[in-house]
Amino acid sequence: MSDSHLALGADGRLQVVGVLDYLSGPALREQGRALIKRASTDPLLIDCSAVERSSSVGLSLLLCLMRDAKATGRRIQIVGLPKDMLDIARVSGLDRVLPLATETAG
Amino acid sequence: MSTNPYAVELKGVTFRRGERTIFDAIDLRIPRGRITAIMGPSGSGKTTLLRLIGAQLKPLSGEVWVADRNLPTLSRAELFDLRKQMGVLFQSGALFTDLDVFENVAFPLRVHTDLPDEMIRDIVLMKLQAVGLRGAVELMPDELSGGMRRRVALARAIALDPQILMYDEPFAGQDPVAMGVLVRLIRLLNDALGITSIVVSHDLAETASIADYIYIVGDGQVLAQGTPDELMQSDNPRVQQFMKGTADGPIPFHFPAADYASELLGGTDA
Repeated sequence: MSDSHLALGADGRLQVVGVLDYLSGPALREQGRALIKRASTDPLLIDCSAVERSSSVGLSLLLCLMRDAKATGRRIQIVGLPKDMLDIARVSGLDRVLPLATETAG
Repeated sequence: MSTNPYAVELKGVTFRRGERTIFDAIDLRIPRGRITAIMGPSGSGKTTLLRLIGAQLKPLSGEVWVADRNLPTLSRAELFDLRKQMGVLFQSGALFTDLDVFENVAFPLRVHTDLPDEMIRDIVLMKLQAVGLRGAVELMPDELSGGMRRRVALARAIALDPQILMYDEPFAGQDPVAMGVLVRLIRLLNDALGITSIVVSHDLAETASIADYIYIVGDGQVLAQGTPDELMQSDNPRVQQFMKGTADGPIPFHFPAADYASELLGGTDA
């Protein structure tokens, strides 16, 4: 039903796409695990600007990616976090845990 | 995303228990993303109303629209699905006494999703952090105060990120500090997450302090509706009696009874 997925771009950034919810969560988690192993940049940029809608599952997905990256000795940076994810992050105190970055133009 | 400004609509709903009419063709609309209170004297059917909205009860007639679906027409499977969008904070808290705090909050995630354990753990900790009880994750319910139990129940009620959150007498039996914490949490969850909140209560001060809109129900009808300020200034004697908490008025102090003297003196004139 949903085409939610993660994709590793040519520029090395990990793009999160679609609806992040209880249905898409398990598959996205597995995709993320595989892609973190393939990604080579440090810090790895996680781009959430193509997220359509997210529940708490989307925030957990970012935490999973953080743990995966940490296990391989790398860091991540999150850009383009949409408002619904930021709202949940704030209510649950994750805005102090997630490495949120602001992207500059160019 | 729905463009309907109302998350819940009751249209001409009648509900009876045996011979007693609890609701007689009532209409009621709950605006999306706001806090709406359902108030009224004990026994006026407030909790019944929540059960109708939660589809635990079926009306005798009328329509109950939730998230643009008319509940009485849905199949069991469709209702099961729709209920994932609704969280309920029960009056008793209704925690599982033999499960610790973590497993209580994890319960709906384990029942309704196929998420792996690590994601369930993240979400449980996020929800407990939101209610200020992440540090209590390993405690059993009987190790918690009444206020803490209710906050754990709230964490469980929001585990699936519901769009509609129903609170059944959230302030009943709580000390002033716990009440203040709950008031703040209800407002925070509503404002920050855009949840539609329905608060059933007879605690006037607390409820009026957070509600955007209030319905007063009684005698099977909606007696009045409006913002807290509008209701405070209402000249309807029933509303006045309820909002000011006076013992007697249109809602009588005495339940209907036979003549007192006759009952005491055996039917003779005193």
